[in-house]
Amino acid sequence: MTDATAPAVRSSPRVSGAFHRLLAFSGLIALVIVFSLASPNFMQTQNILAILQATSVNGVLAIAATLVIITGGIDLSVGTLMTFCAVVAGVVLTFWGLPLPVGIVAAILAGTVSGLVSGTVIAKLKVPPFIATLGMMLILKGLSLVISGTKPIYFNDTPGFTQIAQGSFIGAILPALPIPNGVVILFAVALIAAFVLSRTALGRYTFALGSNEEAVRLSGVNVDRWKIAVYATSSSICGIAGLLIASRLNSAQPALGQGYELDAIAAVVIGGTSLSGGRGTVLGTLIGALIISVLANGLRILSVPQEWQTVVTGTIIILAVYADILRRRSL
Amino acid sequence: MVEPRESAPVVPLVEMTGIDKSFPGVRALSQARFQLLPGEVHALMGENGAGKSTLMKILSGVYQRDAGTILLDGRPSEIASPREAQDRGIGIIHQELALMRDLTAAQNIFIGREPRRFGILDERALNRDAQAIFDSMNLRLDPTVVVESLTIAKQQMVEIAKALSYRSRVLIMDEPTAALNDAEIAELFAIINRLKAEGVGIVYISHKMDEIKRISDRVTVMRDGEYVGTVPAAETPIETIISMMVGRTLGSETFVVPNTADAPVALEVRNLNRGREIRDVSFSVRQGEILGFAGLMGAGRTEVARAIFGADRRESGEIWVHGKRVGISTPRDAVASGIGYLSEDRKLFGLATGLDVRNNIALPSLERFTGPGGILNDAAMRDAARGYIRQLSIKTPSETQEARLLSGGNQQKVVIAKWLLRDCDILIFDEPTRGIDVGAKTEIYKLLNTLAAQGKAIIVISSELPEVLRLSHRIAVMCEGRLTGFLPGGTSQEEIMRLATQREPSMQVRHAG
Amino acid sequence: MLTRRTVLGAFSALAMLATAGVPSIAQDNYDIALISKGFQHQFWQAVKAGADKAGEELGVKVTFEGPDTESQVDRQMDMLAAALSRNPSAIGFAALDSQAATPLLEQAKAANIPVIAFDSGVDSDIPLTTVTTDNVAAAALAADKMAELIGDEGKVAVVAHDQTSRTGIDRVDGFVNRMKEAHPNIEVVSVQYGGGDQLQSTEITKSILLANPDLKGIFGANEGSAIGVANGKTELGSDIVVIGFDSGAAQKGMIKSGVMAGAITQNPVGIGYETVKAAVGALKGETLPKVIDSGFNWYDATNMDDPEIAAVLYD
Repeated sequence: MTDATAPAVRSSPRVSGAFHRLLAFSGLIALVIVFSLASPNFMQTQNILAILQATSVNGVLAIAATLVIITGGIDLSVGTLMTFCAVVAGVVLTFWGLPLPVGIVAAILAGTVSGLVSGTVIAKLKVPPFIATLGMMLILKGLSLVISGTKPIYFNDTPGFTQIAQGSFIGAILPALPIPNGVVILFAVALIAAFVLSRTALGRYTFALGSNEEAVRLSGVNVDRWKIAVYATSSSICGIAGLLIASRLNSAQPALGQGYELDAIAAVVIGGTSLSGGRGTVLGTLIGALIISVLANGLRILSVPQEWQTVVTGTIIILAVYADILRRRSL
Repeated sequence: MVEPRESAPVVPLVEMTGIDKSFPGVRALSQARFQLLPGEVHALMGENGAGKSTLMKILSGVYQRDAGTILLDGRPSEIASPREAQDRGIGIIHQELALMRDLTAAQNIFIGREPRRFGILDERALNRDAQAIFDSMNLRLDPTVVVESLTIAKQQMVEIAKALSYRSRVLIMDEPTAALNDAEIAELFAIINRLKAEGVGIVYISHKMDEIKRISDRVTVMRDGEYVGTVPAAETPIETIISMMVGRTLGSETFVVPNTADAPVALEVRNLNRGREIRDVSFSVRQGEILGFAGLMGAGRTEVARAIFGADRRESGEIWVHGKRVGISTPRDAVASGIGYLSEDRKLFGLATGLDVRNNIALPSLERFTGPGGILNDAAMRDAARGYIRQLSIKTPSETQEARLLSGGNQQKVVIAKWLLRDCDILIFDEPTRGIDVGAKTEIYKLLNTLAAQGKAIIVISSELPEVLRLSHRIAVMCEGRLTGFLPGGTSQEEIMRLATQREPSMQVRHAG
Repeated sequence: MLTRRTVLGAFSALAMLATAGVPSIAQDNYDIALISKGFQHQFWQAVKAGADKAGEELGVKVTFEGPDTESQVDRQMDMLAAALSRNPSAIGFAALDSQAATPLLEQAKAANIPVIAFDSGVDSDIPLTTVTTDNVAAAALAADKMAELIGDEGKVAVVAHDQTSRTGIDRVDGFVNRMKEAHPNIEVVSVQYGGGDQLQSTEITKSILLANPDLKGIFGANEGSAIGVANGKTELGSDIVVIGFDSGAAQKGMIKSGVMAGAITQNPVGIGYETVKAAVGALKGETLPKVIDSGFNWYDATNMDDPEIAAVLYD
């Protein structure tokens, strides 16, 4: 009897993501206030820049993860993909000695290609995203070690490379504001991603897929193609993250990357994006990533023992999601 | 109203002939046919599982036919995808709402065809266009509202708006009024009449006889995946259409209602309430009795069953089992009281399809097969399973066959076995024969009779009136959450329909007006 | 607004926790931040114990942090940056990647914060000194002991933690080169890397043993590798000679029971202790040697209870 499936009235008026963003944002502000009061060393320009710098890589990765998670999928390969793209940049710039722009394009393209592969495996071969990207995570981890010869690749021969993340073109214009380029790139990626999500067909289908994939299919949309496009876009953003981390370390570290996907997913979740798909915001993710960095930095400044830092971070993740559940229940 | 066949050389919009379609294990369509003329409302009728939806899904590109031809405007055509159907002017309003809940109404309507400027979505144009469609429907709805927050009826209207936005020449409506109230239905019919006047052909799938009579020009009836016939709607009596649908004259089988009047009451429900869905429902079932529950979609029958079973919370009401009041707040409580519920969707609720038959049967009774140290006694489970396979004639190569490989009827029997093993003597069947072949249906009917003869109290919820009539010793009829009356077994469909449409006085006035 | 209160409540609880975590303030108010290469591993916990001990004795505040795994170079940078923001008196640092750390070390230098390198050190001239184990010499001692135990001839193999870190390279080179130079009849047939992961090292060991039935011994180049090798030996019921590196309760137990012939121990407690001591020395204006050797020892069932050895072993 189909009448059981549809309650007569759904009375939950939807308060978009705005409320949750407010919640996450007030959480961030509260953290900043608590740490500022607790230590005079926290609210220093240099420390704020250190926090932003520390957020840049995870923030960009989390934005990449946000796209996929809104479709109702998951991407476990963002961390090792980031490394893979960094290694590709290393091969192109250091091993082959090509100019800097080629390395940048190569790293981002490496991401795109990887995203096309995982997207195709998921959309065409119908392998569940969790499994497909778990596989990609390991494949990329291995490939990074293979093509780098298992050793870090340094960018000493490409002098401009460290400037990607560590330089500051804003500081060159306004010496009072030495904001590292990496941070600028993070915010630029966030702005572009937010625009893509809200104002382009790709963004619209990203939400639609997470909301009701079958309905999108029945609407005559080429679901597979758009799904692949989302993964490719997300993975290209991972390529940017790869450039950022490599520039920051002045090296491509092939063994790094695993575990970073969990931090990225944590930022996404704290930012109010639903793991079941259909809703989420880039701004929320950005705030989520900042919360994680502020928490880590602040606890260090306060000399909280490391084992307790981990406990607090875990607690905050659970509290953030629980707050979201409470909000939904109260509507 | 134009009688289409009289207008000179009209080329049909759609002409489907000899359509075959099989799914693994099920033959859904066999030599089905259908014709749709411009400016006609053509009702497609048949019992559940008759193949209406499958046929329309082929027309709208969701499924591909195995054999047969489709002529669109007289030309042979292939419809390979929903996209192609849209491009050819075929729109469909799906029975199960196909909306993206997190998107706004306007975004839903134009999904896949968003207006763009320089590659960027033009949200303003999107909302303006959606508003224009709503205006043309006399629908007061904000295009920027997120669909999830709308009532089901409003969601249905969004679906309709979406179908209209395609400017379709063929519009398929699959149970479009299931969630609509009278005013909304009137609005929908006004829209349909306007579209008709514009020459749009409309396929109207519905179970509601009165609607069919009100809106449609012709009626095509299907049964068991085959074409039965096409008749003019106005001139054909309802009884004729029903007998075409059922394919047998009712009451042909001798049907003796056993006398259970003296048997002890097994289950009694007193003043059950739950919001608007269940309103003050009271009834009782005796041992050995089969109580049928009839009613239109949304009458609240499944809700009653779920409330008794503890699957949904009830607001008030008492449940008495064998003369003792029992507190049921979870399915676990219900099962402990000997109540088994066989849900409509076996795959979703009743059967662990990946497990084998033996484990499915034993699942709720595992404690019984658990030996010391928590180790399961496989031999005892096997013997129990084999017993029921024999007793219920479950067709399976062995008890270790995966349940998903069984036919629908045999899956149903596995679920029955599961509750019997759990010592349930009150069994609630929700649409027990949905999705089951005709042959297997008869077997399920026999099985239910046997169970009743053994003293089980049985409640059967069914949307198929012939089924209710054939099975029940007594029939409870519901309408809009209320029990509108009881009828003796072997009563007529008209009697049932009279009670099933017996609205509350205030609503009747509105209905008449 | 229940939800917001909940979150705020958590934050204030967190703040209290933070203040509770600050150790008692020292007499000289020296605040020394140690950024290590790891944290959870027993070896690093032993370094931390040594650092804490020196902190107590010398009356200075010591904090100790390190990333979860030794591949997380950028996490270590974040830790170093946060430590610098705290404006400590001195910094002890064991670089995962010296190059990556250079800008931050420059920053420390500019702020006149003395830097003491420890463990594998920092490839830079900013640190005033490096407190470390001579890993090449330590692994050479392992080679000599291996030769002694297998009769100076036959096939041996190495299971190491990784091929990119200084300790990994030094220990493998130290072992392999010593065999070539001093024990020509011994052939190192295989050098494999298990990431210091016990389980992975076990699998590697088993495959080496199955491929070389006549193998006489395996050197596990750090704690995780050594335990993995010993487990692999036990699982296959082999009787090869296993030599480990570092200590820890598991490894000590294996040496006691004879599964492992013995191991080289660094002096992690000494590394931590000497690092803090050197930092305090630097703050007091003392001149420090370029390298402070924290030493290493061979230990086996016969000598592991000697007070001198037991003092440098950790659980």
